[in-house]
Amino acid sequence: MARRYDSRTTIFSPEGRLYQIEYAMEAISHAGTVLGVLAKDGVVLAAEKKVTGKLLDMSGAREGGYGGSGEKIFLLNSNVISGVAGIAADANSLVNYARTAAQRHLFLYNEDIPVEMLTQRLCDLKQGYTQFGGLRPFGVSLLYAGYDPHYAFQLYHSDPSGNYSGWKATCIGANNGTAQSLLKQEYKDEIDVEEAVGLVLRVMSKTMDSTTLGSEKLEFATLTLDPATKQPKAKIYKPSEIDALLKKHDLGKKDEDTEMKTT
Amino acid sequence: MSIMEYNGGSVIAMVGKNCVAVASDLRLGNQALTVATNFEKVFPITDRIYLGMSGLATDVTTLRETFRYRVNMYTIKEERDIEPEAFAHLVSSTLYERRFGPFFIEPVIAGLSKTSSGAFRPYIAGADLIGCLNFAKDFVVAGTASEKMFGVAEGLWEPDLEPEDLFETISQTLLNSVDRDAYSGWGAIVHVITPEQVITRTLKARMD
Amino acid sequence: MDVSFALTGKGYVLVAADTTAARSIVKMKGDEDKIKSLGPHLLMAYSGEPGDTVNFAEYIERNIRLYQIRNLYPLRPPSAASWIRRSLADSLRSRSPYSVNLLLGGYDTSTYTPHLYWIDYLGTMATVPFAAHGYGSYFALSLLDRYHDPEAPLEEGLATLKRCIDEVSKRLVVAPGKYKVKVVDKDGIREVEL
Repeated sequence: MARRYDSRTTIFSPEGRLYQIEYAMEAISHAGTVLGVLAKDGVVLAAEKKVTGKLLDMSGAREGGYGGSGEKIFLLNSNVISGVAGIAADANSLVNYARTAAQRHLFLYNEDIPVEMLTQRLCDLKQGYTQFGGLRPFGVSLLYAGYDPHYAFQLYHSDPSGNYSGWKATCIGANNGTAQSLLKQEYKDEIDVEEAVGLVLRVMSKTMDSTTLGSEKLEFATLTLDPATKQPKAKIYKPSEIDALLKKHDLGKKDEDTEMKTT
Repeated sequence: MSIMEYNGGSVIAMVGKNCVAVASDLRLGNQALTVATNFEKVFPITDRIYLGMSGLATDVTTLRETFRYRVNMYTIKEERDIEPEAFAHLVSSTLYERRFGPFFIEPVIAGLSKTSSGAFRPYIAGADLIGCLNFAKDFVVAGTASEKMFGVAEGLWEPDLEPEDLFETISQTLLNSVDRDAYSGWGAIVHVITPEQVITRTLKARMD
Repeated sequence: MDVSFALTGKGYVLVAADTTAARSIVKMKGDEDKIKSLGPHLLMAYSGEPGDTVNFAEYIERNIRLYQIRNLYPLRPPSAASWIRRSLADSLRSRSPYSVNLLLGGYDTSTYTPHLYWIDYLGTMATVPFAAHGYGSYFALSLLDRYHDPEAPLEEGLATLKRCIDEVSKRLVVAPGKYKVKVVDKDGIREVEL
């Protein structure tokens, strides 16, 4: 029966549901975890990379993309970074759209686009695919971490239906339920970036399937204010920096040989 | 009255040894009336390219915003910074788009371009208001004091100046030229681009 | 023949414009308000071609208002200024350009700073501590060079403004008789009597 109502995005089922959107959400709940925590002096994002093949040629990705963007964490504008969960190809298209929208705003108003407005731009596009034309909606959820002078640091989440909401800490992708309850337990108001980094890594290490965290499975980024210029500064960590960070928080891979030697 | 002289202002760029310098005055006028003395005409494009524009002030602002937009889109698509050669042609084609109703500015481009060996080579270029590029080996000038700057630069400039000496040369050239020009002056700003850093200094001049 | 002045002080911007609406040599009206409120903390004095001025000012007013309705917060002064400047710059190269000169004064509630912009009909924009348009500028700017203090309290700012107006009344043949003066600061916009 359901078959009759899920072949197009535009058609409601008799129970008043849009199946394609629910399927898109389902696709996202299998994607790599993306986690965001809002602190009083910054925002922290982390993302889990799902498949890593030994034969995949990563030489082109070593330097990172625009502003050091990786596979799952992207720089959208100088004041916004985002983590994506879902179909990578759809995500790339949305990221490209967001960057263009941000540049258009900069051109028109000579200011960085406010974070909520950028979220709205993408949600308008996503909503469009639940109503017109296309065969399916975007299979992507995003977390937006950003700064603007109106509301300072912000964290937003948007889903394939075009809904968005602001959060203090949230998680999308696989195991997001576990992560959310962990965050609910551990999040404190007035948390600072330093603590937020620790919290993100801790929750990530508990939700991810693999026993040890490493740069091949994890992407990490922070958005803070540059102390000198007071302008927002996005830092998307390079693999070596991620490994160093994990080591600092005692979550990194243990080199068994050295452990044997020291004991 | 020429429209190129309506707001006044001058810019200059010079080549040094492994470095380039670009400078402008700070005056914005309405013919003989000075409206503002903080109007910079040189803008950063990348960490290693600066663009100076002299001419009609509305077009200076519009083009600054246009070039920022186009360079940012280039950076996003290419995932790397634009090189001075490519940027010069972006400037040229942007100006030529308006061949029969031009922007009334003359651009001056200064930058360091990356060679295949990883070293940096100084690059400067100027253009007319419809984008005809002029590649110079020594210096380029534009604006209401350009004739004076040609003369002074011809006398002061020499090849292979170190950053500090280049700074002195370009500063003296600009300052002494704008002192003889009623439409330029009221202070100046100088940028010296080296492979390691960009040195920016604001200069006091004859404030009259 | 319009005359308008504006100056910044400690935490405020003062904007003044004459109140005459003239047609050729005839004074049609003596209480015209040529300073529009574009938002809770943004003022715009407009002058230039009669007809163009009000039409353009209303176009700007409504677009700025629309932005505020859509986003629940107003454009900040620097962004509003950039957008207005672009509107004029685009208009300049359109089939029927607007001939409107503006003084834009605003108070940025997120950085707690006053802003003043001088904008002319070409789309030239300058960020300035004080500004003037019209014949008054030839008399007022030199006075402001001498007496303006960006840290002055409101009373001092008003005194400086009065100097400018008095000088114009004394020396300009076609000096306007009355001015409207508005101030924008952290509390918003209000009209003040000189």
